[in-house]
Amino acid sequence: MAKKSSMGRQKIAIAKIPKKNHLQVTFSKRRSGLFKKASELCTLCGVEVAIIVFSPANKAFSFGHPEVDTVVDRFVAPRTKPSESALSAQILEAHRNCSIRDLNFVLSQLLNQAEFERKKGEEIEILRRANWTKVWWESPIEGLGLGELEQLKMALEEVRRDVVEQSNHLASEQVNGTALFGVNNHGSMQSQNCEEIPETKPLDINGSGPPTFYLDFHRNNGIF
Amino acid sequence: MTRKKVTLAYIENEAARKATFKKRKKGLMKKVNELSTLCGIESCAIVYSPYEPEPEVWPSALGVRRTIAQFRNMSEMDQSKRMMNQVGFIKQRISKAHDQLMKQLRENRELEVTGIMHRALLGHGFGGLNLLDLNDLGWLVDKNLREIDERIKSLKDSPIPDIPTKDAAPAADNNSKAKVEVGESSGVLGNSSALALGSGPSQEPWTMYMELFKANENAVDDDVGGDGNFGRNTDDPTAPSYFLPNQGLPWSNNFLFP
Repeated sequence: MAKKSSMGRQKIAIAKIPKKNHLQVTFSKRRSGLFKKASELCTLCGVEVAIIVFSPANKAFSFGHPEVDTVVDRFVAPRTKPSESALSAQILEAHRNCSIRDLNFVLSQLLNQAEFERKKGEEIEILRRANWTKVWWESPIEGLGLGELEQLKMALEEVRRDVVEQSNHLASEQVNGTALFGVNNHGSMQSQNCEEIPETKPLDINGSGPPTFYLDFHRNNGIF
Repeated sequence: MTRKKVTLAYIENEAARKATFKKRKKGLMKKVNELSTLCGIESCAIVYSPYEPEPEVWPSALGVRRTIAQFRNMSEMDQSKRMMNQVGFIKQRISKAHDQLMKQLRENRELEVTGIMHRALLGHGFGGLNLLDLNDLGWLVDKNLREIDERIKSLKDSPIPDIPTKDAAPAADNNSKAKVEVGESSGVLGNSSALALGSGPSQEPWTMYMELFKANENAVDDDVGGDGNFGRNTDDPTAPSYFLPNQGLPWSNNFLFP
């Protein structure tokens, strides 16, 4: 698997984009980025914000904190004296701010993890690439000649046979109740007497529902 | 860009917060401007600060009113259809980050298993591998075999119609192991050689592979791509059953590629 790198950041003139497709894509990306910046501004500095944007197809996209409507109304008809919000409104706002705080926390965790995994992937990739000159069969198959391909194929087929054999071996051990499943990364999949293998109930590690973040997603413990 | 990483939380320090506000507000206005110009669209931004009563706006008070008017002219539904607040927006970001994380984890897992495969090629054994690892490894080996066959085929394509098959020898070896599953697996190899024979350039190797799984179809869990399904997290009830003789092929499809 090759990591394809994009063209990276290109400098662009600030003038209307001539090509329609390009314009659409740019709108989509930049609108998303703009809302992200606005969201961060609200989080970091606790300010009220509203942004309204019309797409090339004349659809209205808007972002606002606490709500687009509140900010817009405030702008259109400003109250001269500071508003004394009703108690219920204050409670509502407190709730909302709490949710936002929690959500931001979850988001940060996810982003950190994604970054960590990304770096890890990069490092692994670098190490592998370093190996390609020494060990020809690890390099991508596009670079291999016909003879090498045939060789590799035979070697892999042998590996495959071994894997099947080992799998069968392990499986039969389980059925006889002598083998342990390997402990998978969540440490919870152990079974000894596995006559009931076909009916093993699915592990629901994170519970059902919306995506939860894997704060402690352990690397698996295979050979590595 | 940023020299230090910023946590996504309210900045308690007043001075720092004020400085951040100034910078980011400026940046935000710049971005709105660029978006408007690049895409030739109508837009506006309103930012209230705790430091002054009047909000800062783009493009101008008049421009904002114009945009608001255009906005308010739309139906209630059109206005709210693509309207976001913090909660909704952050949830969306979480969803995207989650998907990205899963993708990256899958990729890293593939890298890892590839490493295992290479060690296997060198002759190191499978001692430490559990069934899940073996499953993933088998899947990856098959994937590579397929790609190799394709590559062989494309290299031999123009002049030679037939490619000398290799399936005779491996099949014989496999059968000598006297396991039904292995017999099944030679079926895989047989098929992938058939692929090499040019069973039809239109036939995607992926679809052919899927066909081979038809027998195992009930074993394919639709959960792929969902939360936590990464080939390892899901204890697919049907995955272990691949060792039952009446099942189709060894490898549970429940891995890297949904």
